[in-house]
Amino acid sequence: MDVISCEGLTKRFGPAIAVNGLDLAVSSGQVYGFLGPNGAGKTTTIRMLLGLIAPSAGQIRLLGRRLPDPRAVAQAGSMIEEPAFYPWMTGRVNLEVLGATGGGCGPGEAARVLHLAGLADVAARKVKTYSQGMRQRLGIAAAMLGRPPLLIIDEPTNGLDPAGIREIRGLLRGLAAEGTTVFLSSHLLAEVEQVCDRVAVIVGGRLVEEGAPAMLGAIRRRVRVEVRAADSGAAARLLARWIRVPARHANGQFLVEHDRGRDVNGVLMAGGVVAESVTVERPGLEDRFLEITGKEDARAVAAGS
Amino acid sequence: MPWLLAAELRKLIRPLVWGTGLAIIGFCLLITWGGANNARGALASPRIPDVCARAVTAQCRQVIAHAHAAARTAAAATSLLAQPGEIGHVAAGMLASVPGLLLIALVAGGHWGGEWGSRTIRQLLARQGRRTRVLAAKWLTIWAAGVAALVCCWLVLAVAAPLIAAAADLPAAHAPMWAGLGSSASAAGRAAIVLGLFAAVGTAAGAIARGQLATTAITVGSMLLALLVAGIASIGRLSPASFVQAWMNFDAPGYLPTNFWSRFVSDSQQPGELAGLLGIVLTGAIAAAIARWRFSADVTV
Repeated sequence: MDVISCEGLTKRFGPAIAVNGLDLAVSSGQVYGFLGPNGAGKTTTIRMLLGLIAPSAGQIRLLGRRLPDPRAVAQAGSMIEEPAFYPWMTGRVNLEVLGATGGGCGPGEAARVLHLAGLADVAARKVKTYSQGMRQRLGIAAAMLGRPPLLIIDEPTNGLDPAGIREIRGLLRGLAAEGTTVFLSSHLLAEVEQVCDRVAVIVGGRLVEEGAPAMLGAIRRRVRVEVRAADSGAAARLLARWIRVPARHANGQFLVEHDRGRDVNGVLMAGGVVAESVTVERPGLEDRFLEITGKEDARAVAAGS
Repeated sequence: MPWLLAAELRKLIRPLVWGTGLAIIGFCLLITWGGANNARGALASPRIPDVCARAVTAQCRQVIAHAHAAARTAAAATSLLAQPGEIGHVAAGMLASVPGLLLIALVAGGHWGGEWGSRTIRQLLARQGRRTRVLAAKWLTIWAAGVAALVCCWLVLAVAAPLIAAAADLPAAHAPMWAGLGSSASAAGRAAIVLGLFAAVGTAAGAIARGQLATTAITVGSMLLALLVAGIASIGRLSPASFVQAWMNFDAPGYLPTNFWSRFVSDSQQPGELAGLLGIVLTGAIAAAIARWRFSADVTV
């Protein structure tokens, strides 16, 4: 069953289109990463998922209910951007108030999530004395209140130290193992690669790529080819069918969008060019992300001009 | 809804609300102290026209006797008003006029407008998507803060006002301590309805302004504008301030003022009591409709 389902989701702010015909399907029990550069429409999408803003077009189903049904949103735990709390209250009271706002949590629920988030020792301190990392943990604790079947979290590890990041990563994986669906947006691509089962990349409000992180990295394996400088022109002509990024064949170095080195080498050999080296590369998510977003930016510039 | 109300009430336990409540109570105590001292001063030296200050004619003797009698009557009235039962009029009148408006505006600013300023509105709406319920809970809790301040103010004045009157050497009020309790309770009930109107205006202001200071400013500004309009002969009867004046039936201020409202609204422009109540209800309903319409817009903080 899809826990989150978006069809043709669009949001316009005046003439600007923040999200443009977004289709998403997040299955139960997945940790789903949502990637995109600043201004790509990630937070706008999350706000629409949580009913804070209304879509201009398209529809959202959350936990089987079609928004704007408030019961759907109430079942999801969430943390949007930098979490905000009532500074004059303690961490524990903040969670109790939030729990009551959503209809009440069982006794000891606040203590449970405070313990999970590693804040049990400072639960009695006022939130105004918390560091940014502690507020971030409190935000995650708040999202976990009442054991929601779906967590929607924006940048969960912002402001956390490396140990904290690892802890939260483990916590999210643990929640997913227990059946909780986690939808998280993050700029920390390495983290997404480690935590997420599936990843969607959004650029300029449009979904440009979606899949398992490993697949997203390997879906188009590349072959790095090095030839002598004198053979550069001939090699460029021979490899033209695969080379999509012209800037990458400087100084006899080519990055070829093809997953088999043998084919590339065969074409070069047939054309009388002997390669110095042919290496199959499996780029990391970060490279793919930058590449995808770079292409989309270039497309946007081209469309604009 | 009960859980949501409990959560909203818990949020009121904050320095801003305590501080504002204490300030209102302190203000009422100061007014009572000032009123008692004014009455004592008038008793000691009644206001006598200059022309009679030296000329001792039969007419002047009559004027002077009248002035002394008027001062004694006013002092006795002040002394009576300072009794625990009667002093409820002062508490009700203050909370249903400008001091109460300021209290509601500050509470609305912190409790409702502050949700936007501190961006806690996101958490609130992500947990409770029924926006009408959120508005109702905010209105109810802002109103409850006003009513709680009214009750506390009355309790404090019930203890302090007789002591203040005694300290000012006002003539003893020849009435039981709890005389006027019924009429005071009635005034407090009426004040509670006016506080409901102020709370509705504050709730609408928060939904429009989406910020603490702006919410306070719009709440105070809109009602002060209503007071100004109430002073305009042609349209004053239609001002919400006139509705409040008619419903509360505020007296003209004496030594111990029972309100800060009637001096801005002339008697000739008052609608009837029932018309005042209907006007208050209608104004509150308009404020609620504006709040609901504005609150349904996107939350982008």
